[in-house]
Amino acid sequence: MTDEPELDPNSQQAKEIAGKSPMRIALGRLARDKIAVVCALFVLFFIICAVFAGPICSLFGVSLDTPLASERVDGLNSGLPKPAMGPPDGPFTWDHPMGVAPRTGQDNLAYWLHGCRASLMIATTAAIVASLVGVVVGLLSGFLAGTVDKVLSFFIDMFLTVPFLLAALTMAPILNERFNTSDNYGTIQKVSLIVILSLFGWMGTARLIRGEVMSLREREFVQAARVIGMPTSRILFKELLPNLAAPIIISVSLMLPAFVALEAGLAFLGIGVTDGVSWGQMILDAATPLFFREYPQYLWQPMLGVVALVLSLNLLGDAIRDALDPKTRR
Amino acid sequence: MHVTGDAVLGENKKERLDSMKRNKPLALVAGAALLTLAACGGGSSDDGETGGGEEREFGGQEGGTKDAERQGPAPEVEGAAAGGTITVYLPGDPGPDTLDPTGGWSVTGNSIQQALTSRSLTQYIRDEEGQPVLVPDLATDLGTPNEDFTEWTFTIRDDATWEDGQPVTAEEVAFGICRSLDSEAFPSGPGTEYSKHYFEGAEDYEGPYTGKDPKCEAWDGISVEGQDITITMSTPFPDMDYWGAFMAMGPAPLGNASKPPNYGQKPLANGPYKVESYKPNEELVLVKNDQWSGDSDPGRHQYADEWVFKFNQDQAKVDEIMLSGNSDSQTAVSTALGSGNYNDANSQLGERLVQQTSQCVSTLTPDYNKIKEIEVRKALAYAYPYEDVWISGGEVPGVTRTYANSVMPPGMAGKKEFQVDGEQIKYDPEKAKELLAEAGYGDKPYEITMVYYEVDPLAKDAQDQITKGFEASGFSVKAIPVQESPYNIWLDPDNKVNKTLNLRGVNWCSDWPSGSTMLPPLLKGEAVYNTAFFDEASVNEEMDAIATMPIEEQADAWGALDERIMTEYFPIIPTAFRNDLFVFGEKIGNPTGDGSIGAPNYKDLYVMQ
Repeated sequence: MTDEPELDPNSQQAKEIAGKSPMRIALGRLARDKIAVVCALFVLFFIICAVFAGPICSLFGVSLDTPLASERVDGLNSGLPKPAMGPPDGPFTWDHPMGVAPRTGQDNLAYWLHGCRASLMIATTAAIVASLVGVVVGLLSGFLAGTVDKVLSFFIDMFLTVPFLLAALTMAPILNERFNTSDNYGTIQKVSLIVILSLFGWMGTARLIRGEVMSLREREFVQAARVIGMPTSRILFKELLPNLAAPIIISVSLMLPAFVALEAGLAFLGIGVTDGVSWGQMILDAATPLFFREYPQYLWQPMLGVVALVLSLNLLGDAIRDALDPKTRR
Repeated sequence: MHVTGDAVLGENKKERLDSMKRNKPLALVAGAALLTLAACGGGSSDDGETGGGEEREFGGQEGGTKDAERQGPAPEVEGAAAGGTITVYLPGDPGPDTLDPTGGWSVTGNSIQQALTSRSLTQYIRDEEGQPVLVPDLATDLGTPNEDFTEWTFTIRDDATWEDGQPVTAEEVAFGICRSLDSEAFPSGPGTEYSKHYFEGAEDYEGPYTGKDPKCEAWDGISVEGQDITITMSTPFPDMDYWGAFMAMGPAPLGNASKPPNYGQKPLANGPYKVESYKPNEELVLVKNDQWSGDSDPGRHQYADEWVFKFNQDQAKVDEIMLSGNSDSQTAVSTALGSGNYNDANSQLGERLVQQTSQCVSTLTPDYNKIKEIEVRKALAYAYPYEDVWISGGEVPGVTRTYANSVMPPGMAGKKEFQVDGEQIKYDPEKAKELLAEAGYGDKPYEITMVYYEVDPLAKDAQDQITKGFEASGFSVKAIPVQESPYNIWLDPDNKVNKTLNLRGVNWCSDWPSGSTMLPPLLKGEAVYNTAFFDEASVNEEMDAIATMPIEEQADAWGALDERIMTEYFPIIPTAFRNDLFVFGEKIGNPTGDGSIGAPNYKDLYVMQ
């Protein structure tokens, strides 16, 4: 049942615990969770890769620049990399630590690092935006109740009815039509991807928060705050929000891996990022029987990236939830 | 006509999200399947190396020939046996929308139907050297023109029959030809281009269905006397015999029996095979037509019992089947090979992998009104990294794409082997910079605006190479991603993106081996596919003049004009001549390509017993 030894309430240890904030208790629990630590290290690794993608690339002397294809790949050998470029036909080379892509000769390491950056940047931003929207809507709807609750709940339900994939599929050509002559097409694509992801990602958080708020608002401390005449905004942000930290952190930590996977999925379908700098697009290029047979590393690299990142984010999210929930003891 | 099928233009090979149907439009080809088997380390094929295949090169090609005397039956193919079923996989090819002979204008539909089910006035056969020869079909010869080619007379043979045993009459042939004038009933039929343009009175005649003239009495451009059909032309049409090889120039049952669109589901066959079942975009099954007699047909054979055509196949899947050598693949034919499997196929299959020249050219078309200096246009030609674009676009350099010197494809009568600058233009950024400097643009990059098909990763990769090459050569490139076929952009004069472009492109195939189906459609002022907007009065006049020249001088005149346009104006950058690859199962006899249309040589295939 429990791995924490029973303590004498008057002992030194018990007094220390009594002096800890709930957050510190949670962090302490997290630090003792081996899986959580490993996952956190993984996530940290990916974050470092993403943040320092540029410097790491220059460290290895690789870049996103398109080379002339014929310099690096052999057009008469199915477009596979020349032996001097490393696997599959040649030995490992420090010039291209992860090899080069067949057909185009682009450096896999540079694309992997920048793909990681695109993936994390889009997922993080979208998760933050979606949670912000979700929290605000949930707070308002749960606390104000009545008409406001009805209207907001209607919007939550309405957005839940829109099929996400269909909407994303429809948006892609519209955005292209509107912005394809712009010089910042790539940025616009990423921004719109963030908008789409957060537009269809906030409803779960909103519902969760709304439910929590509804149960909290009848509690004594809220009643007391009302009685002494606190303004609604102060009740919302000073009284309710701190009590909602746990569900919010949990929803963000579970939203992140979902968005990473969605970003890759959309890029694979050719409707997210289309400039090739995305794990999903790398998987799309590599997922042919021939390349997988002759050059499996090419598919494994982005695959492992997506799987490892999504898995560690998910497990970390689970661990955070367990740590924050006072009722679970593992 | 134009073809897709080039990553630069964005053929969506994966067909994932794009439901647009792309029939591969018809390319009539004079060149033939050419595989020069250079001896290559004999007996080394079992050492497990992938490079042990044959070297495939282009052999010499000649323009198509004609043989008006050829009579049935067609000579037996050596070693041929009867019986068996041949399965044809058509990867990434949706097949024809309709089997109506009058509506067919695609490489896929025409190659199948003209070879197996639907006869016309004339036809092509493959001679011993692999060259296509124009021979009679339903007509007893190749037609008799009057002196200025404004009147053609064909005598219809009396021994050809329909699948129901009824004889094919001259009236039915005349009615079939008349149908080709109905451009509303057959909007994408080839008659809209040729019958409408050349036949007397065709412009004002709406056709038997749209014009409510079911017996075709209101059009007097054609007359039938006994077995003789006489067609009068409004403009001289020396290529009528070639046009006669289209199945649209064949018979149709009179009256309601052939009313579109129902007739397109199951047309009445008069060739060696008839339609057993047809599911558009899926499958076409043909079985022996026992009413067909070899004596009445100078070109076709009836060896296999059954043909099964499977459309819209997955390229990777078909490649696996064909390379596996299992029982499914032994009697199968594939009309395409994924470039990634070229090496394996080349080493394993030997002569069962057939490389077929298609009479097509890929081009880039600099806007003649915006890029006025010939030096800049030539600089673009030197800045284009040909092989790199082919590789990243999924083509095999030197095999499915080769360097091009002009618009007229190899093998076309009159084609001249000249080089604009004395030698083949290849990627040479330094030379491009020099040319730009000569034109006075040496100081800052010359801006190029073009589009690419964003949905296809191959097109995107190819565009990256083009951008790389251009930027290394003193240009700056704005590549606009589009999500519809680039042709929709280039051919729409009101499109806002199109207005900003100064570099476009067209892939073009000839309809028959004459410069008249290549040069005017691409380079005559006002021509639809003239996306360069090249318009020089002297060139336009010469094109008109060549059409009225004596027939035997025309070929050379087209060749000379081709050279003159390229050397004087260089209005269009030919980036590649194109080839197809066909794969034949090990029990398919006589694995060859049909040089007239760019398809497997269906007429002469058989199953080894």
